[in-house]
Amino acid sequence: MGNKEKGKQSRRKFLQNIGVAGVGAISAPAILFTACSSSSDKKTKVLTPDNKLIEIDSENGLAIDTTDKSYLNKIGREGIPGKKFVMVIDLGKCRNERKCMKACQSEHQLKPEQHHLNVLEMENPSSGQTYFMPKLCQHCDNPPCVTVCPVDATFKRQDGIVLVDNERCIGCRFCIAACPYSARTFNWTEPRDSEEYKDITYNMELNVPQKKGTVTKCAFSADRIREGKLPYCNSACPNGVYYFGDANEDLVTNGTTKETVRLSKLLKQNSAYTLMPELGTQPSVYYLPARENS
Amino acid sequence: MENINEKFATIEKDLLAPVKWGKKSIIWMGFLMVTLVVCMFFYYQQIRNGLGVTGLNDFVSWGIYISNFVFFVAASLIGMLISSVLGLAGSKWIMPISRIAEIIAVSFAMVAGLIIISDMGRPDRLHHVFLHGRIQSPIIWDIAIVLTYVAVSVLLLYVPLIPDIALLSKKQNGLPRIQKWMYKILSLGWANHPNQYKLIKKYFKLLAVLIIPIALAIHTVTSWLFAMTLRAGWDSPIFGPYFVSGAFVAGCAAVTIGMYFFRTSYNLKSYITDYHFDKMGKLLVLVALVYVYFNINEIIVPAYKLKGGEAEHLKSMLFGHDALMFWLVQIGGLVLPFILLLFKKMRKPLPSLIISSVILLGAWFKRYLIVVPVQQHPYYPIQNVPDSFMHYTPTIAEIAITVASFVLFLIIATVLSKIFPIIPIWELKEEVKEQIQ
Amino acid sequence: MNKKFYILFTLVCLSFSLIAQESWEVIAEENDNLSIIMFDEELELSGQIIYDNSCKSCHGNPEKADFSKMLPEPGDIASESFQNQTDGSLHYKIRIGRGAMPKFEDALDSEEVWNLVAYIRSFNKNYIQKKPNLEGIVIPKFSLALSFDENIDKLVVKTIGDDNNPMSEVELKAYIKGSFGNYLLGKTLTNEMGIGYFNVDAKMPGDAEGKLEVIVKARKGYGSAKTMQKMIMVQPSTFESAIKGRHLWSTAKQAPIWLKVTFFFTIISIWLMILYVVFGLKKLKKYS
Ligand code: SF4
Ligand code: SF4
Repeated sequence: MGNKEKGKQSRRKFLQNIGVAGVGAISAPAILFTACSSSSDKKTKVLTPDNKLIEIDSENGLAIDTTDKSYLNKIGREGIPGKKFVMVIDLGKCRNERKCMKACQSEHQLKPEQHHLNVLEMENPSSGQTYFMPKLCQHCDNPPCVTVCPVDATFKRQDGIVLVDNERCIGCRFCIAACPYSARTFNWTEPRDSEEYKDITYNMELNVPQKKGTVTKCAFSADRIREGKLPYCNSACPNGVYYFGDANEDLVTNGTTKETVRLSKLLKQNSAYTLMPELGTQPSVYYLPARENS
Repeated sequence: MENINEKFATIEKDLLAPVKWGKKSIIWMGFLMVTLVVCMFFYYQQIRNGLGVTGLNDFVSWGIYISNFVFFVAASLIGMLISSVLGLAGSKWIMPISRIAEIIAVSFAMVAGLIIISDMGRPDRLHHVFLHGRIQSPIIWDIAIVLTYVAVSVLLLYVPLIPDIALLSKKQNGLPRIQKWMYKILSLGWANHPNQYKLIKKYFKLLAVLIIPIALAIHTVTSWLFAMTLRAGWDSPIFGPYFVSGAFVAGCAAVTIGMYFFRTSYNLKSYITDYHFDKMGKLLVLVALVYVYFNINEIIVPAYKLKGGEAEHLKSMLFGHDALMFWLVQIGGLVLPFILLLFKKMRKPLPSLIISSVILLGAWFKRYLIVVPVQQHPYYPIQNVPDSFMHYTPTIAEIAITVASFVLFLIIATVLSKIFPIIPIWELKEEVKEQIQ
Repeated sequence: MNKKFYILFTLVCLSFSLIAQESWEVIAEENDNLSIIMFDEELELSGQIIYDNSCKSCHGNPEKADFSKMLPEPGDIASESFQNQTDGSLHYKIRIGRGAMPKFEDALDSEEVWNLVAYIRSFNKNYIQKKPNLEGIVIPKFSLALSFDENIDKLVVKTIGDDNNPMSEVELKAYIKGSFGNYLLGKTLTNEMGIGYFNVDAKMPGDAEGKLEVIVKARKGYGSAKTMQKMIMVQPSTFESAIKGRHLWSTAKQAPIWLKVTFFFTIISIWLMILYVVFGLKKLKKYS
């Protein structure tokens, strides 16, 4: 205890020695620069009605009325202007650790058999070698699931993300039948921990709380993206399998190493492909082939 | 003249006789009601616990509810077509059985709408369909067309009933008061005026023409629920006519069964004769032939190519997991009955009944084979889920709710046939008159 | 006989290599490396963000010892084996990596790695940060001026010292800011004129005016500078909303016109006919 006190004191002293300066960044000695740059001055922290601390860009003027709970639904349907989110999955790096699946299931209040993201063991038909393929909603640009929904409960946003509104869904499961990637799952019974979550305002971008009798699927972690963070699965992966970013910027960032690369180059150099392109669904998820090591 | 009046009197006596609540019919209705209540208990469970009480899972997410829905729509199709197409074409033989066909059709169509609701995960949100309906979705087309079909077919049943209702309200005694009162309202002041006859004939013709495209549409749209997806096995452009031709078979079989039961339990042997069964049998042969043709198309074409996802589905259908059911349905439920019906002896009432029952049973399982196995073979492997997700087995609750739909059908059909004469009296009279003159 | 011997031999070798892996030598120079910045709550917080994103998946929640089961063990950062190391050693190991431990040098700045060290130290009550000896060290001071040369598609960074003279030999790193991370344009040293050049791909999409947000970080000795600027560097691009137009998959409001017309025309005309019959039946009363 005493020691900690001491440490703190010396810290304060240290800072005092240096003095406080603005973020001008021009001609700043090392010590000043680093101490100041770690704080971002453009973000405002807002407490949402469901007691979640979120950071919003005050520059964009995204004013949020925190007394009205319906804003969660409104922003959920609107999406982020000027963006087109894509994911790149490097199959060569996947070692079936399933950290992504776990993170996804715990964030989205899913039961063990419910998968927004499912790591499949696939076999290369020509060589017979197996590889692991994380399969999630492809956020198709021509989404058959959205086409068939009778009530606009699943929809595509301007940033390309396909979401589900589980307060609208009537549970007809037509979308499950229509999705060729089997990317959707249903709440056949009471969702996991529904007792705990029952008073929480619905967050469409997270699709939590889940509701009995409605469909649910990968949301590209739309709630995280809004905070400028990478999706849950991407951050959870220890092997650098996932890249996520904005195709309009042509940049994707690796979830593990945070390395940012050009999307177009990454796709070209690794002969990327999409799943079942012949169906014309135009997925937003690209795969880099598993490298054969025979 | 004497002769005609005598004949009319026997017709009225014979045909009005069943329109009363006898002991037998009350027991029958009571039995149906009790079964319905028992089955509804399972529906209550489904409402409370969610669709988890069924055997459905994320892969086979449409099960026997949807197959049953398709079956009901199929069975409802032909009734209207029999009375309208053949009626418009001037086939006289159809007249005594047209109302049976219509009652069967109306009852099946009404229950079909309810079956969709039983399949919904959130029936409490049914109003969303009307508030937020998206006309791009085949479900919305289906709901619109089912509602329209029920409306038109009820009218088609009702319009030619008006003279008979008037007759009932005049002549039938010993009925509950409300029923009498209902007849009075429904007869719309019918007075056997020639202009009135002209009017209902005109409306009947209009409705009969209108129902043809609607009846075809209802089944085509139902087939689109499947054909509009990208699933291997459903993604087929001939699903529309394939379903329609299948519906002809199921519908004809249903009508034949109905004919047999009404004939025996309502003592109508002299009105619905061997001749009618023979004709129905021939019709069944014709439609079965068309259906066999579509079946061959639907299987040979993909089986020849064995394209990616379809290959697996077809293999399991032809030799694998679903092979037994598939061949029983195709051979036992379609080809064999078709061959048998070619013989005149087999078109007698009793053999007809048996053959039709087999066909109808086959038709139900055929719908199951169209809906379920395709979903067991998605493009990507089924992994990391409980073993129970690998195959779909309906649960007791699910079966009970499906049984409920049949019970409901029987209730509606029984009530309709108990409060209205099952054979159009005035049309029969007209025919007798013509014959004599 | 021979075979058995071989197997034994390889086993012995393997176990040796495993033991060898257990000890992770750090060069003395790196071992004594110290942060020139004092750790505080703010640094700890940025360190925590990096930790959560990049390290937690293997090292688990600190103090919970719920790290992944791998070999060699990743270990808990609050544990003694971590805390007994010097700051410099932690800094080095994070940067260089080994085996399953990724090399973070390319993804994280030296400062960011220090932030991580700050976070790791926050679990040690007894930790007292060693201060680097700054006495007698000259901290170079300089500023950065950015411009873009369209003719050669290059970003030009000029470093100007305190005395208004260009400063050479400054390490420069330039990034393009992305939504989730910064894209490294390159690293270079300034020339005698205090200038560093970075290639910019003309095909890179900019915003509506062709602007990209550039971040330049500069370092010389203990001196460093950073600047952020939006500059016109590429062709302007226009971004279409992913839901523009009327498609079958659009929302109800955006349904294709042809579909709306067909659907409503069909349904309404059929229902008109139905109504015609229903109201027509009233005429029956006239004749009674
Ligand atoms: S992958 Fe499936 S659920 Fe996702 S957008 Fe495409 S069709 Fe819809
Ligand atoms: S299950 Fe829900 S989201 Fe899917 S099609 Fe039906 S209403 Fe739409």
